[in-house]
Amino acid sequence: MQNPYIPYPVEVIKIVTEVDTKDIKTFRLAFVNKEDEEKFKYTPGQFAELCVYGKGESPIGIASSPTQKGYVEFTVQKAGVVTTALHEMEEGTRMGIRGPLGNSWPIEYLEGKNVVVVGGGFAFTTLRSLINYMIYEDNRKRFGKITVVYGARNPGLLIYKDELKAWAERGDIEMNVTVDKGDATWTGREGFVPTVCKEVAPSPENAVTVICGPPIMIRFTLPVFFDLGFSKENIITSLEMRMKCGIGKCGRCNVGSKYVCKDGPVFTFAELDKLTRDF
Amino acid sequence: MEKRLIKKEALAGIAKRIAEDVTVYAPVRVEENVLFKVLEKGEEPLFTYQNSKNAPKNFFFPRSEVMLRYTRTPKGVEFTAEELFARDGVLMGARPCDARSFVLLDMLFDQEKYKDPYYIEKRNRTTVVSLACAKPPYRECFCTSVGGHPVDDKGADVLITDIGDVFLVEFVTPKGEKLLKYFGDQKADAASEEKKAAVAAAAEAALTWKIATHEVKEKLDRNFNSPFWDGIHKKCLACGTCTFLCPTCHCFDISDEMKYDDGRRLRNWDSCMFPLFTKETSGHNPRPTQKERWRQRVMHKFSYYPENFGAIACVGCGRCVQSCPVNIDIRKIVAEAMELA
Repeated sequence: MQNPYIPYPVEVIKIVTEVDTKDIKTFRLAFVNKEDEEKFKYTPGQFAELCVYGKGESPIGIASSPTQKGYVEFTVQKAGVVTTALHEMEEGTRMGIRGPLGNSWPIEYLEGKNVVVVGGGFAFTTLRSLINYMIYEDNRKRFGKITVVYGARNPGLLIYKDELKAWAERGDIEMNVTVDKGDATWTGREGFVPTVCKEVAPSPENAVTVICGPPIMIRFTLPVFFDLGFSKENIITSLEMRMKCGIGKCGRCNVGSKYVCKDGPVFTFAELDKLTRDF
Repeated sequence: MEKRLIKKEALAGIAKRIAEDVTVYAPVRVEENVLFKVLEKGEEPLFTYQNSKNAPKNFFFPRSEVMLRYTRTPKGVEFTAEELFARDGVLMGARPCDARSFVLLDMLFDQEKYKDPYYIEKRNRTTVVSLACAKPPYRECFCTSVGGHPVDDKGADVLITDIGDVFLVEFVTPKGEKLLKYFGDQKADAASEEKKAAVAAAAEAALTWKIATHEVKEKLDRNFNSPFWDGIHKKCLACGTCTFLCPTCHCFDISDEMKYDDGRRLRNWDSCMFPLFTKETSGHNPRPTQKERWRQRVMHKFSYYPENFGAIACVGCGRCVQSCPVNIDIRKIVAEAMELA
């Protein structure tokens, strides 16, 4: 019996500080045993428990795409005991990861459709995984138009800055990066995510919106998409809850009868409507 | 099915003989309580008890258990060993409600995907010998309301029933039959079957608490936002006694402990009654007050478990009712929920 509580050993091979405030870093982890990489076969939207022995575990969305071989990446905000320990780590340190856990973005459902990706602030990690997956070589032609609306409070808080530039330079993905308030060097768009979504006005025709962000952003962005004609079935999000086991046993991350760790984290708003809300 | 008859006073001796070969967990008097514990050499098991203060789930799902160990190395802190403790054992004298709780816990810990090896290993290596309730022991008992019965063999490998002058011993599963050799060779006759049926009927009739629970799930689901939930929690001290004594509560926490260069990861029982149970690092708590926590406790047992596994996650043992320091009574909550629209 495979013990689902035993993490795979990994080594931190690269750390990137993403934001000016220095409290969001991306960790690139390589499997110590090559065969574990094969076992850790994931789909964009899934997460893993990052394990710092002696401190604990923290459930974090996978930020890399399965098309990137040889490593997995996680973008982590320094917040609690485990994430603080992570932020103090140096390249070359060994730790563990347990997963992949949860369901994923519905890749098959997205195929052949136009995909609108809406992200806010730091909640852009599994969306980045999805984007990199969709635009990877031959994968690109399996999806229709890709429209991205991504916003942060200020330019210094945008994550994956180099990638945002690189994506904007490709012709096959429409990038709309915005900040609530720019600074002296900012030449891009200013405005809140819901406003920008209204301006971009993606067509609901054969389209799905995938949205991740702070609750306040979601609250104001949802009506925009309903007004545009998107149905609840075609607006998909990812939930976060406090978790421990990650496999639906320890009993704390349920929303109604569903466990976010095992039945989620990805839900459509139609599905969420049916659940008794407690999150 | 093999069936034997034994003298009532022989059972303690049988337990002690089994304990010479494998670990026996049995009810033992400890100060003013009867507790299930490992039967030590020379210790006397108690089979004339009502029910134990603690549920015997801790032999499969201990209150605290080490999951793995790790140590500091020049490369960081690294995994050293999985710790999967299990041994051959016999749980003697579990009441049918408690035996049935194992069937309910199996549904969670032994799913198709994601099996919990810590639970499963212990469960597989333990034989459950149930002692039927010829007379329901407490006023608080309500097993028949939630799908159980005082003379029920669900979850039992061996079922012992007091049929008057002797014990009828039924070997329900092949695992149970492995214990045949300890129980002598007096085979049960047809008359003892009839006596058992009469005992079962009398025991069922003696249960004073009966609540309707059919469609309780639908009622609760419809009333998630009802004012019904505004009063229930008001007395609650959030002590967690109900969840710690409950045979089916399975929530746990995972935590790390390190001393010098060596450490271990443990899991400990946790409780949905505790404010920190769902509190997130950001400070946000999806169940911010005791109201949401009580709603979760009731919904989990009477709506979510039925939805996910097709069974109510309550065996009607009455422990939470007996031991709640402020007399919150889940039977009354369910009975009142059944009155809702």
